Amino acid sequence: MSLIENRLTSLVGRPWRQYVLAFGLVCLVSTFDLWFQKWTGYQALALVYLLAVVLLALVVGRGATFFGATLSALGWNFLFVPPRFSFHVDNLYDKIMLTTYFVVALTVGTLTARLRTQHETEMKTKLLQESERLGRTLLNSVSHELRTPIAAIISAANGLHSSGALAPAQEQLVTEIESAGARLNRVVQSLLSAARLQAGQLKPKLDWCDVRDVVRAALRESSKVMAGHPTETKIAPGLRLVRMDSVLMQQALGNLLTNAAIHTPPKTAVEISARMEGTDLLLEVSDRGPGLPDREMERVFDLFHRAPNARPGGTGLGLAIVKGFIEVQGGRVHAANRAGGGAVFSIFLPASESPNLHEETA
Amino acid sequence: MTATETTPQISVMVIDDEPQIQRLLTIMLESQGYRVTAANSGKDGLAATAQRRHDLIVLDLGLPDVSGLSVLKQIREWTQTPVIILTVQDAEAEKIEALDSGADDYVTKPFNSGELLARLRAALRRADKGKVEEPVLQFGNLTINLAARRVTRNGEPVKLTATEYALLKLFVQHAGKVLTHRHLLREVWGPDQENETQYLRVYVQRLRDKLEADPESPAFFLTEPGVGYRFMEP
Repeated sequence: MSLIENRLTSLVGRPWRQYVLAFGLVCLVSTFDLWFQKWTGYQALALVYLLAVVLLALVVGRGATFFGATLSALGWNFLFVPPRFSFHVDNLYDKIMLTTYFVVALTVGTLTARLRTQHETEMKTKLLQESERLGRTLLNSVSHELRTPIAAIISAANGLHSSGALAPAQEQLVTEIESAGARLNRVVQSLLSAARLQAGQLKPKLDWCDVRDVVRAALRESSKVMAGHPTETKIAPGLRLVRMDSVLMQQALGNLLTNAAIHTPPKTAVEISARMEGTDLLLEVSDRGPGLPDREMERVFDLFHRAPNARPGGTGLGLAIVKGFIEVQGGRVHAANRAGGGAVFSIFLPASESPNLHEETA
Repeated sequence: MTATETTPQISVMVIDDEPQIQRLLTIMLESQGYRVTAANSGKDGLAATAQRRHDLIVLDLGLPDVSGLSVLKQIREWTQTPVIILTVQDAEAEKIEALDSGADDYVTKPFNSGELLARLRAALRRADKGKVEEPVLQFGNLTINLAARRVTRNGEPVKLTATEYALLKLFVQHAGKVLTHRHLLREVWGPDQENETQYLRVYVQRLRDKLEADPESPAFFLTEPGVGYRFMEP
């Protein structure tokens, strides 16, 4: 049944074809009724028309169903209801019949058409879910295939390093493997994050967080990249808890720190600060590097965008991920130059809600 | 006979479907004197753990046949052998579920050998101590007398509220172990409060303020982002 239905639906897919089909079907049924009326009264023929309207509703849209229902009512009236071959209706009984027929045909037709639309929407949603699931599986397996060998390289190099049995030159070579592995790992991680963001698969897990914890974790995670850049943390005293996804926030801050480390000369100080700005939490990572060219301000957060004068080492992913991670949490990002030189990257996170704290009475 | 030969070797079971990671773990652990048995699927791993006793199990959560989590749950049905989970970055939900299902600790791939071995030793040490409840615990300059419910820092008594003390007690009794938010909230505030992370944030900060030498860079109460807290012996 569903196969025939599908065939018919594709056959009559275009709107004008649906109307042609409706017209044709009503003509066909009229011809049949003209032949069939020898054996039955004109009232019974209305049921044959009604059957045609229901069949029509199974394959065409609401508009064409409405058209078919109206046409069949007119056809029945014109061809069979006495006086025949006129739209005029004499007695009350036939008037009631005609009106009832029209209402029933319309209702049945509309309901059937609506049911079919519902069914189609369900099918589409199911297909969409299926393709999303497939995409996620694919992303997970690519992620696994990339990460496993990288993990093996890094861990093996690290094991070799800590065995303590290496000559100085060998030690240097192993260190190179380790840092190259770490860099590769960062790039793969960024690509996967960007892919997840693009696919809309990232669901933030918002919970009350202590901003100090998140800042500390970001500094710890990026300590290797930040080596050689003195950092200063300024967190407003008494800063209250804010709802955020601590892992996404930590990675966003880590990316901003890495960005500062890559794009400023060695030993450039980097500052990370947190305070309330109105009802928003404002987190800032600022440096005293060369700053941003004016026309780059809007574009630094774009995917794969790299400033023309940018130092090598970036992928054009880091800041786009920051933007994505913050926006899924309902926040926004901003880049600007600082008075006195250097760039400042700001994260605004809505924080008007305050936590419900259950205080001890003791 | 030399001393090393008579010392019974510590046996570690490695369950990992990736031959490369499995070989790597075997080399690392054997070089430290552990005896390693490796299995490359959850099914084989379960069979091998049932066959003979191991001192510790390293379990990769990304197994092909059965999910690592279900292997963990099956292991926990009959043994308390410490289990260390191998997991990937960005898998906080998985880590939390593993810890709540009885894993002792986790190591994120790519791991470094120092970190892995430290976690292994800590888990073995905790298992070794077993259920022996010591009345007085000492962590650096902190002394916690569980019998007398007294806490001192550098010999000075520290005044704690009932909730602060309950939380501290839970931490020190599981020193070195990651405790998930859910676990801490259930134990201290009750099962119906397990989603009220804000209580935990506030009370951990209070404990840091009262007990840490520098509350801004804590040495005892460490945050495991997205997962929970770990009370570290400094």
